[in-house]
Amino acid sequence: MSDLKIAVIVKLEPDFSEGNVSYNADGTLNRAETKSILGPHSAVASSAAFYAKVKYGARIAVTTMGPPIADTALQQAQLLCDADELHLYSDRMFAGADTLATAEVLKTGISKVEGGKMDIVFSGHRASDGETGQTGPQTAWKLGFTFLGNVIDYNVDMQNRVVRARRMISLQGFYDVIEEVEAPLPVFIAIDPSYKASFNTVSQRLAFEKYQKEAKERAQNYKQYLKIFNAQQLGVDPKLVGLPGSPTIVYKVERIPKAKASRKAEVVDGSSRDQIAKVAAKMYEVLGGMVIK
Amino acid sequence: MSAKYEHLYVVIEHEDGKPVPVSLEMLGEARRLMNGFNKKYSANEKVVALVLGNNMRRLCEELIFYGADAVIYVDSPEFQYSRNLVDTKVISQVATNKELAKKFSDASNFIKPRYMFFAADNIGRQLSSTVLADLESGLASDINKLVIEDLEIKHEHKTKGQAVKYEKTLEMYRPDFSGFLWTTILCLDNRNPAIEREYHPQACSIIPGVFLPIERDTSRRGVITDYIPKFDERDLRVKVLDRKIVKSAVDFDSCKAIVSFGRGIKDSSEQNIKMVADLAQALEAEVGVSLPISKKPFAVSEGVSSTYMIPDRVIGTSGRKVAPLLYIAAGISGAMQHIAGMKESGFVVAINPDENSPIKDECDIFIKGRMEDVIPLLLEELRKQKPAIEVKK
Amino acid sequence: MESYEVAIIGGGSAGLAALKQLSNLGKQAILIEAGKKAGTKNVSGGILYSKKPKRGRAYNVEDVYGSVFLSDAPIERRITQYMLHATSGNKVFTMDLTAAHEYQANFGYSVLLGKLNSWFAKQAGESAEKQGGGIVSGVHVRSVSWQDGKTVIETDELEPFEAKAVIAADGVNSEIAEMTGARNKFTPEQLYQGVKVIVKMPEEIIEERFGIGQEDGAAHLYAGDVTLNHIGGGFLYTNRDTLSVGAVYHYDSLMQRPAEPYTLVNALLKNPMVAEFVKDEVAVKEEIDRNLPKEEQLRVRFAVSKLVKTWNELRDAYHSPSARKRLVEGGKYKSEEEIKARLDSVRSELEGKYRTKFVTDYVELEYAAKLVPDGKRCAMRKPYYKNILFIGDAAGRGVFIGPRIEGLNVGIDDAVRAANAVARAIDRNDFSSNSMGEHYSQMIEESPFTRDMKEIDKDYLKIFLDAAKDVPKDIIGQRYGMVFKLMSSGTLRGLAVGFANILGYDRLLPLVESEDTYVQVPIELAEKMGKPVVATYEPTLPTIAQRVAQLKYDDDRISHIKVLDHESEFMKKMVKLCPTNCYSMEDGEITLQHEACIECGTCAKETEWRHPRGEKGVNYQYG
Repeated sequence: MSDLKIAVIVKLEPDFSEGNVSYNADGTLNRAETKSILGPHSAVASSAAFYAKVKYGARIAVTTMGPPIADTALQQAQLLCDADELHLYSDRMFAGADTLATAEVLKTGISKVEGGKMDIVFSGHRASDGETGQTGPQTAWKLGFTFLGNVIDYNVDMQNRVVRARRMISLQGFYDVIEEVEAPLPVFIAIDPSYKASFNTVSQRLAFEKYQKEAKERAQNYKQYLKIFNAQQLGVDPKLVGLPGSPTIVYKVERIPKAKASRKAEVVDGSSRDQIAKVAAKMYEVLGGMVIK
Repeated sequence: MSAKYEHLYVVIEHEDGKPVPVSLEMLGEARRLMNGFNKKYSANEKVVALVLGNNMRRLCEELIFYGADAVIYVDSPEFQYSRNLVDTKVISQVATNKELAKKFSDASNFIKPRYMFFAADNIGRQLSSTVLADLESGLASDINKLVIEDLEIKHEHKTKGQAVKYEKTLEMYRPDFSGFLWTTILCLDNRNPAIEREYHPQACSIIPGVFLPIERDTSRRGVITDYIPKFDERDLRVKVLDRKIVKSAVDFDSCKAIVSFGRGIKDSSEQNIKMVADLAQALEAEVGVSLPISKKPFAVSEGVSSTYMIPDRVIGTSGRKVAPLLYIAAGISGAMQHIAGMKESGFVVAINPDENSPIKDECDIFIKGRMEDVIPLLLEELRKQKPAIEVKK
Repeated sequence: MESYEVAIIGGGSAGLAALKQLSNLGKQAILIEAGKKAGTKNVSGGILYSKKPKRGRAYNVEDVYGSVFLSDAPIERRITQYMLHATSGNKVFTMDLTAAHEYQANFGYSVLLGKLNSWFAKQAGESAEKQGGGIVSGVHVRSVSWQDGKTVIETDELEPFEAKAVIAADGVNSEIAEMTGARNKFTPEQLYQGVKVIVKMPEEIIEERFGIGQEDGAAHLYAGDVTLNHIGGGFLYTNRDTLSVGAVYHYDSLMQRPAEPYTLVNALLKNPMVAEFVKDEVAVKEEIDRNLPKEEQLRVRFAVSKLVKTWNELRDAYHSPSARKRLVEGGKYKSEEEIKARLDSVRSELEGKYRTKFVTDYVELEYAAKLVPDGKRCAMRKPYYKNILFIGDAAGRGVFIGPRIEGLNVGIDDAVRAANAVARAIDRNDFSSNSMGEHYSQMIEESPFTRDMKEIDKDYLKIFLDAAKDVPKDIIGQRYGMVFKLMSSGTLRGLAVGFANILGYDRLLPLVESEDTYVQVPIELAEKMGKPVVATYEPTLPTIAQRVAQLKYDDDRISHIKVLDHESEFMKKMVKLCPTNCYSMEDGEITLQHEACIECGTCAKETEWRHPRGEKGVNYQYG
C-alpha cells in the first residue's frame, strides 16, 4: 500500500439508455420516471482511479454532491474502483447550484478528506445531462491543483511525485494531437471518455482481480464506508453555495424553431423497387460513375 | 463615463501559427453584437481580443481585420503550447488590468470585462471554466445563439421575488443533448440584499462552426497592446514533453460519400448498424453517426459499439463538419446540430418513416420508409447497377 | 521480467483442475485464459464422469475440488437412464445401456461448461491466490520460447514473463503444440466433429417427459439414419431446465461426403422421437396492424413483448419447485396456486387482447460446435516437450469407445498427474524433459484412460452383448457372425479379446468403427424390430443465420485465421464443413469472413489457425 491519495468526483445522472429514459410531451426529460445511475463519464473516472489502486496501491475516496439518493452513484463507483471511503455532500442549501457553486462544495469537501492531502483528483469529462464540463476544472481551480483535461492515460512517478499523462487535443480544422505532459502533484485530471485502463503485466492483472473481488464485497456493504456531510459539517460559506452562490440561472427552455428549408426534397416510396432503383442510379450519377443503362 | 464592467473580451485560440477558425467566428459574432449594443445604448464599448502566444504578432494584425477593436498580446515562450494553469493565471491578470483597458478606452472605473467569449473546444471549455472560477463569475458553455437584452426578471433568490430590470443582459442559448431544445442561460447579479453580489463578466464558450466571421476588412484600425505577464515559478512547472499528430481512424474528408445513422436504428440496433455498414461499403463511403448515438443509447455488441458509437464519428456541431458529394442520413430526424454538420453536402438522401422530420427540409430525396425495409432494397439495386466502369478516385 | 513457478495455458476444465491441484499441493501457479472469463470458450457434449476403475486409479473431479463439488457446483442432473436408440425413418429400436453408463463409474452428471467452468475458476482462482498465483483472463498466449535457460511466454496483451514449468491445456487446436513443434496438427482421421444445440425446457416438464425424478437425468443416444450415413451418433441429455441435443461423427467421414454440420443436428431434431422429446409451448406474436397510428403500434409492440416475457418467466418458475418456493417466500405471491392463476391470466390477456397464438414448437438457445480428438488414433505417446506438459484434448487424449465418449474427466485426470509431476519438479528444482517430462509420461501410461485408448476392455464388451441379447442373431450375424459367436461365449471371449488386443486397435477399428456398425446395422434393427413413433408437430428449425445471430461475439476487426491456399481441395470443402458458414467461394477462390467463427478448428489443418486475441471472438453462454 503506497501513500498515493486519490479522490474521484462523481455524479448521479439520468439513465439515457433505451427502455430506461422517459421524456415528457414537450420533449424535456421526465426525471421522475427516469432511473438514475452513476453517470457514464463518472464511471470512466472511477476506472481511471482504479488503475492507480492496482498499480500503486493508492487509497481512493469517491465524493459527490447531491440529494440523499445520490449514494447509489457512490455505491456503483465503489464497485468500479474499490473505494476506501465514500463521501456524500447533501443539504437542501446546495440545491439549484450551478457549476461554480457546486465546485465550492466539492472543493470544501475534498479539502477535508485525508487531512486535505490529496495527490490526484479525478472527474469525468462532463455530465451526460448538464454537459457543461465546467465543474471539474472549477473545482480544480478552487483546490489550487494543476488541471489536466482530456487525459487518455497516465502514470505516476512515485519517486519524483510527478504525473506523466497523455492528453487528446482536438481543434477545429486541425488534426488531433496527442500531447504528453508532466506535472508535479497534486493534479486534477479530467478523464477523456475514450480512456481505457490497461494492465499489462501478470502481477497487475492478478492485483486487478484481487481488488475487484474486494470491490464487490465492499459495494455490497457500502453504507459502512459512507459518510454524509451537510452544509454545517462541511463548513461551507452559505453565500457561495446553492442558488445564492450561483452566478447563472436557467432563464427559459424552448423548442428550437424549424429552420427554413434549404432544399426541396422529392419524396420517394421506400417500398417501391422502381423508385429505389431510380435513387440508386442517381447515387451513382452523383458519385461520378457511369451508369450502363 | 466609464462603467465598472465594460467591453467584450474574446480569448483567441491558435495552433501552428494560424488562428483556429472559431476564433474568427467569435470575433464576427462579437462585432455584430457590440455594433448593436453600441447603437442601442449609445455606447462605445470595444471588442478586445486576447492572445497568449510566442511570436504571434502577425496574427494580432489579422484579428483587427476580422473585427477586433483592440488586441492585448502577451508574448512569451511559455505560451508556445496551451497549458491550463499558467494560461488561466495570465488571462485573469489581463482581464482585471485597468491600465491595459486604458490603452483603448476611457476605463477610469474598469474592474472586469462586461462579457467574455471562449471557444467551446477541448482547450477553451476547460480554460473558460478555470478563468471564470478565478474571476468568480458565471459561465455558460456550448452556446450557439446570443442576444443582448434588457430583461425584467423575477427570481426567488436573485431578486427576492421582486421584478427587477437587468439591463444589457447577455442571453446565452445552448442546445440540449437531444438537439431539439434551447436552454437560455443568464449570468445575473444577486440584487437580493441578503446575498448581494455582482457577477461579471457574463461569459460563455461558443460552439465552433456556428457563427460566421465578418468579411476580412483591411481598412479596419485598432490598438495592439503588449502585456508583460507576471509568472509564478510554480505555475510553470507543467512541462509539455511531446506532441504527436494523430490522424483520426475515421477519415471523412477523403470520402466521396458518407452514410450516417441515428436513433432510427433502435428496433434492432445491431442488425441495422451492420446494414448501414454494408451500404457504406457498397458506396465506398465512411460511416457517420448523430450525436445521441455517441452516448451509446442502445445495447449492441462490444465490437460494434467501439467501432461505430464513438465521438470520432459524430457529424454535427459537436463533432465533424463534412461536405461529401453524397450524404445519406438513415434514421436521423434532423436536429439542428446535425444539419449544421452536413448541410454543405452535394446531394442528400434521407431514409425515414416520418415525413414530418426536420431532415425532409434538408435533403434532396426523402425515402419514406423504415431503414430495415429500405436499405436491403437499396443495396440490391445498387449491386445490380454497379457501374461497369470503375469510379475514378 | 516477472517470473512464476508454473504457467498453465488454457482455462478449460483440465487447466483449471491443474491449477487447483497445484494449489492443493501448496505450489504457486498462474493460469492464462484467452476468453473474457473462464468458460466462455468451452463446449462439451456433455456429461462429466467420475470413475472407479478395477485396475489402477482415476483422479476424479471430487478428488481435486473436495466434497464441495457435489454439494455446491452447478452440475445439472445425475444421469440414471442411458438408452441407445437405433433409428430408421419413424421407427425406433431401443436398448437400455444404463449398465454400460454405470460401468466402473461413481456418477455421471450432465453439465453445461459455461456455468461449471466458471465455478471451477472461482474455486481454483481463490486457492491459487493464497499461493501467490491466480487466473489471468482476456489474454492470448502468442509464443513460448527458450532464451538463456529461461522459458519466456509472450502474449498479445501483456509484457513477456517467465515460468519454470508450463502445462499446455489449450485444447484440441493447441497453439502451444503447433508453435513448439511438439506434435503435428491432428488430421481428419484422428478427429470427431461435434455439433449441438441447447433447447429450453421447463424443469418439471423435463421430469415428466423423461420419466425421471427431481435429482435424476436421462441420456439418450441415437444411431442409424439420424447421422445421414456418417459414422457417429446423436445424443440428447437432460440438464436442469434445458436439453443438450447434438451429434458427434468422424471428421474424415464428413470429408468424404461433405455436409453442413447444422444439417446433422437438424436431422436429429427432425427424428420423430427427438422432436417429441424437445417440444414445448411457444407464444407466437401476431403481426401488428399497420393502419394503427405509429405511437399505438409502438405501444402494442412493447406491451406484447413485455407480456410474453412475463409469461415465459412465470411458466419457467411455475415448473420449478425451487423457483416457486422463492417467489412465495419472497412475498411476491401468497401461494403457488396464485402463480398459476397469474400465469393463466397473462395467457388469456395475450390470447384475447392481442391475438397471440400458443403453438407447439421447440426453443433453441445456443448453437455450438467443436472438434474432439480420438485418443485411440492421436493420443500423444509422450505428451511433453522440453518443460511443457500436455494434458487433455491438447494431448489428443479423448476416450471414444462405441457410445462411450469421455473427455472432461480424462482431462481432469491428466491435470492431476501433470500437477503432481510439476510439484515434484519444483521440489527437486529439475524441470528437464528427462526428469519432469519422463515422469509425467510414465504417470500417463499408468492412467486407466490410456489403457482404454489402447486395449479393448472385455468386461465393457460383455455389457453390450448383454444389452443386445434381444437382438435376433441373424441381423448381427450376417456381418459379424463368427465374431459374435466368439464374444457370446464367456471363455472364448477372454481369448478373443486378448487376440484382438494383440492385433491392435488400428487393425480392428476400420471394422468396428464403420458405416456398417454405426449406420447400416442400426437401420436394419430399427426396420425389423423398431416401433413406430409419431411426431405431433413439425419443429421449426432455425436457419444457420438465425443460429449465428443468437451467439454473442466480441469482434476483433482483424481475422485470427489466415487462409494459406485459396484453391486447395480441403479448403473448398470448408465452404460446407465450417459450422457457421465462414467460408465462401468467389470466382473459384476461397474467402473467409471471420466474424461468425466459433473457433472449432475444423479448418485448422490447412490454415494458419490461431485463437483470437484476448477477450475477442465467440462468448458461449451455455457451452
